[in-house]
Amino acid sequence: MDTVVTVVQVLLGAGVLLALVRAVRGPDLADRIVALDLVLLLIAGAIAAHGARSGTEAYVAVLVVVALAAFTGTVLVARFIEWRDTP
Amino acid sequence: MTVTTILGLVLLIIGAVFSLVAAWGVVNFPSPIARMHAATKSASLGLALLSLGAGIAARSWGLIGVASLVTVFLFVTAPISGHLLGRASYLAGQAGPLVHDDLAGVDPAPLHVGELERGRFSLVRWIALAVVWMLLWRDISVGTLGGAAIVATAIEAARSSFDRDTTISPPRFALFLIRYVVMVVTSNLRVAWEVITPSNARIREAIVAVPLRTRSVDTALLVANAISYAPGSLTIELTGDPPVIYVHVLHFTSIEDVTDSVAHLEDLVTQALPQTTPA
Repeated sequence: MDTVVTVVQVLLGAGVLLALVRAVRGPDLADRIVALDLVLLLIAGAIAAHGARSGTEAYVAVLVVVALAAFTGTVLVARFIEWRDTP
Repeated sequence: MTVTTILGLVLLIIGAVFSLVAAWGVVNFPSPIARMHAATKSASLGLALLSLGAGIAARSWGLIGVASLVTVFLFVTAPISGHLLGRASYLAGQAGPLVHDDLAGVDPAPLHVGELERGRFSLVRWIALAVVWMLLWRDISVGTLGGAAIVATAIEAARSSFDRDTTISPPRFALFLIRYVVMVVTSNLRVAWEVITPSNARIREAIVAVPLRTRSVDTALLVANAISYAPGSLTIELTGDPPVIYVHVLHFTSIEDVTDSVAHLEDLVTQALPQTTPA
C-alpha cells in the first residue's frame, strides 16, 4: 500500500511539474491561472493519497480548503481579466 | 490486503493517471480554451477518484463522506471555472483560430433569472444542509447537531430561489446521474486519447450558439454544466431570456451536430427536473 501511494504521489508530482511548465510559459494570464488551478488540485490529490496511507483524518480539512481556495482564486482572476480587458 | 484496500488503491492510481492527463493536456494543447477542456474534465474526475479512493483504502467513513462532498463541489465548480476563464480569454482575444464563431459581436447580456423569490422551506434540503455540516465536522455530538440545526435553518431562511416550479423526479434524476457519470468517463477517455496521440492538427475549434427550449434557470444551469462534461465541448457563455448557451467545441463538424447533442442533454435534464407549470 505504501508503494502504491508513493507511486501515486510521484505521478502527481510529475503533473505539478508539467503544469508549472505551462504556468511559466503562459503566454496569457488565463493560461497561467489554468495551470496554477491545476497545481492546487494535484496537491489536494496528493494530500488525499497521504490520508489513505496514514489513515488519519487530520488532512481532510486541508483537502476541502485547498479545493475551495482553488475555485475562489480562479473565479477572482477570471473576473479580473475581464475587467482589465474590456474598455 | 483486503478487497476494499485494493479497490481504493486502484481508484487512487486511475485518479493519478487522469490528473497526469490533465497536466499533460494543459502543457500540450495548442490553444488556451483547448487547455481548459483538459483542465476542467480530467482534473475534476482525477481529484474525485483520488479522494474517494483514499477514503475507501483507509476504510474511513469520515474520509469517504468528505471525499463525496469534495467530489460534488468539484463537479459543480470546475465548469464554472472553465466558463469564466474561457470567456475571459475569448474577450482578451486569445481564443485561437475558430472555424465558426457565434459569439462575435454578441453583447453579453446576463442570464435573466426573473424576480428572486423567498423559497419555501424544504425539509429535504434542510436535512441535506445539516448532513453537509456534520460531514465537515466529522463528528456526531450534541454540539455539532445543534450547530447543524442553526446553520441549516439560517441558510434556509436566507435562501432565495430562482424557480419555485422546479421539482425533482427521483427515478429520472437517477437515470440522468448514471448517464452523467458515463459521459464524464467517456469524455475523459477521449481527452486522454487526444493527449497521448499528438495529432493536434485535427483540432478545429468553434463556438456555436445553441438556444434552449426551456425557460427554467435551473434546467439551463444543469445543461450548461453537463455540456462542459460532454466529450469535446465546453460551455463558454450563457445569456439571455430565453437562455442561449454558447458552446466551445474542439472538433467542429457541423452546427447541427452541436445543436443535436445539446438538445439531447436538455431532454434528459428536463425529464429529471420537471416543471410543475409548463412554460
